[in-house]
Amino acid sequence: MHPRFEETAAILEARFAEGSAVPWTDDAFGSHAFAVFVVQYESCSVYRSLCDARGITPANLAAWTDIPAVPATAFKYFDFIDDGAGAPEATFRTSGTTRGDEARGRHLVPRLSLYRAALLAPLRAALMPDRGRARFISLIPNPVEVPDSSLSYMVGAAADTLAGGIDWLVDAAGAWSSETEAVCRRAAATGEPVVLLGTALAFQHAIERAARGEPSLGRLPDGSRVMETGGFKGATRHVSRDELHGGITGLTGIPAERIVNEYGMTELLSQLWEPVLVEGLAGRGVHRPAPWLRVRALDPVTLHPVPEGRDGILCFFDLANLGSVAHVLTEDVGSVVDGRVRLRGRAPGAEPRGCSRAMDELMSAAGQP
Amino acid sequence: MRRLGPGGQGVGAREASAGDVREACARLRAAGPELIRRSTDDIAGVLGVVGVRFLDSDDPLRREALERLPHESGLSPRMASEVLEGMASDWSAERLRRMLRAEFGDPRCLDRPTELNGRRLMAHGPGLCVQIVSGSVPGVGVHALLRSLLVKAPTLIKPGRGDELLTELFAQGLGEVDSGLAGALAVLRWRGGSEAIEREAMTAADVAIVYGSDATVGALRAMAPATTRVVGYHHRTGVALVGRDSEPDRAASDLARSVAFFDQRGCVCPHRTWVETGGPLDAMDFAARVAQAMAHLESSLPAAPLSPEEASALQQLRGTAELRAGASGGRVWHGGAAAPWTVIFEPDPVPGPTTLARGVRVHALQDLEVAGEALAPLGEHLQTVGYAGFGARLDRLMEIAGRSGASRVVPLRAMSFPPPWWLHDGRGPLLELVRWVEVEAER
Repeated sequence: MHPRFEETAAILEARFAEGSAVPWTDDAFGSHAFAVFVVQYESCSVYRSLCDARGITPANLAAWTDIPAVPATAFKYFDFIDDGAGAPEATFRTSGTTRGDEARGRHLVPRLSLYRAALLAPLRAALMPDRGRARFISLIPNPVEVPDSSLSYMVGAAADTLAGGIDWLVDAAGAWSSETEAVCRRAAATGEPVVLLGTALAFQHAIERAARGEPSLGRLPDGSRVMETGGFKGATRHVSRDELHGGITGLTGIPAERIVNEYGMTELLSQLWEPVLVEGLAGRGVHRPAPWLRVRALDPVTLHPVPEGRDGILCFFDLANLGSVAHVLTEDVGSVVDGRVRLRGRAPGAEPRGCSRAMDELMSAAGQP
Repeated sequence: MRRLGPGGQGVGAREASAGDVREACARLRAAGPELIRRSTDDIAGVLGVVGVRFLDSDDPLRREALERLPHESGLSPRMASEVLEGMASDWSAERLRRMLRAEFGDPRCLDRPTELNGRRLMAHGPGLCVQIVSGSVPGVGVHALLRSLLVKAPTLIKPGRGDELLTELFAQGLGEVDSGLAGALAVLRWRGGSEAIEREAMTAADVAIVYGSDATVGALRAMAPATTRVVGYHHRTGVALVGRDSEPDRAASDLARSVAFFDQRGCVCPHRTWVETGGPLDAMDFAARVAQAMAHLESSLPAAPLSPEEASALQQLRGTAELRAGASGGRVWHGGAAAPWTVIFEPDPVPGPTTLARGVRVHALQDLEVAGEALAPLGEHLQTVGYAGFGARLDRLMEIAGRSGASRVVPLRAMSFPPPWWLHDGRGPLLELVRWVEVEAER
């Protein structure tokens, strides 16, 4: 490993542990970004060659925004990791898309404690600003079953620290636990608020199961809250957000002002959260990044930042990505106001128009790293 | 419902329902006898009259096409004009008659029993041909409807999104010159994948021609009754092979033109190029020349502006290619923010995001004899192979390309516009549509 990796990671972990409530100054963020860039430039040859080609090195860097960003797609084709690193502590994979033959991306994580530190404070601030502990009920599969899911890891790690117990209701194959109704009944009987976590798709399944008369989620105690995620990624949603939330409220009694959307991606180890539990419904539709994650909306043609409030493609600099690559250009579209993101969705663009088959997918069928 | 009759003005966007399809199919079937009474030669003549209107700069049909194509097909105005020229020059009576001869030898076999190769034969078109076209290359819909009308098949066509305009204008033009023939054609719009509508159409057809992704073709095929012939044109792709005897600047310029036409949307476009090394040609140097030609073409055949989604995908493509270039001795040239062309030299083909717009990948090929291995992953999706500089080895190229799945081997410059009689995916486009009847004489 790079001689400065452990030291930099330890400094970042300590800063992350201070919490996510107080914004970092530009100077503070910039100096950490510089330290991260030095490690990544010096240790990852794939990334270094991109930086060299663009003429950006630690020696001539003027601002963190000049640090070359890698396209999120590149996680499908390259492992961004220290050339001298041993086996990573975890390998997270992106979920498949609607185009099944497409390569999946992967994110190698050399130090999981940095991921844990990055996820805990923002999750606590978004889901449990008013409580020290609560029982978790998860529709996201157990990380023991799905070790390559960064989302499962997040839920597991958060439960280890913040939960007074967790029930996993959906397995890796998407099958629902026979205990589903009993778990909700027991939770209701205690009267203690719970944290219910799931993807938009899992909640939709819960709603549909209930409509068919199959065992599903039930009423949960007052003060319970929901983390809903995944709604902005991948396949088109079949239901609107209001419909989905209406369905969740109908099943569990948890009102819209306690349904929190999480926005994250495998390529980034930090997440963004809707601050609805703190700011009420005014916080709906905006996602707040952790202070160690900065977001810019860029013009898709020029890659120059667009004015505040205007839509662009989202480009993230995530200090928690110390072990891979911090600056990531996505295909997600949104605007940024005062550091917060208003998501528009994902640019569905890559599909070529016309009768030409996406040849590159054919060529890549066997070539995943 | 959208059938455009004489003087039909409303080339609009109303979407058909399953009921519209049912009604149109019944009406089209009723138009069959009138079509059968006409001679094939007469039909080709009338269709040609409409076709050449798209080449006449004073004709309102051409003017409307040129005015609306850039917007409706997402092509730059210059490109729209070139594409229309290239497409419509195949819609003349002369070209259509040549297609009939190329396919049937003696096209009168469509009108009456005819002696062909010592056999007494007659060819019958289907009582109803349904064509479900996808893809936004303008003109494909007109090519498609010409084929079925030439074999006297009443035709229901759903053009691809982005190709409605020319298809509907052609139907309108036909209505203006020959209401009888126009009565055997219906152009309908619906959203591809609308199951109830497509099931109705696939059930009604005697012969169905479907264009689209493998998944689309598979889904439509599954809807058809066992007795319906389904001809599927699934997704295909084109490549270029540049032999070591090429004149590099000319080959690079020809390749760039074929990349620029349709902005790589077609199955006839060269998405990857292999350059034969071991002679005077250097693959990276050739890629640099292609880049130069692409930059140059931007002024004469400008690319269409990209949607934000496409621009975003292009950033992913370029960034990934740059990473790869640094890691494995490749190189990337592109038009920056000013133009979407992107030339990626990768000595060996490696997985990467899909090239789009004017993107092309260039690889090195040790020798023509190993081209089969390079093309193998394309398998059943390979269609057009453009070439330059193989001299006396052309037959060998044809053999290797054919074994690899290709059905069309053409000079680089000719890739974009196959003639009407081309062997579409390896089969005769009119022969696909007909049923033969043979009579044996009493002895």
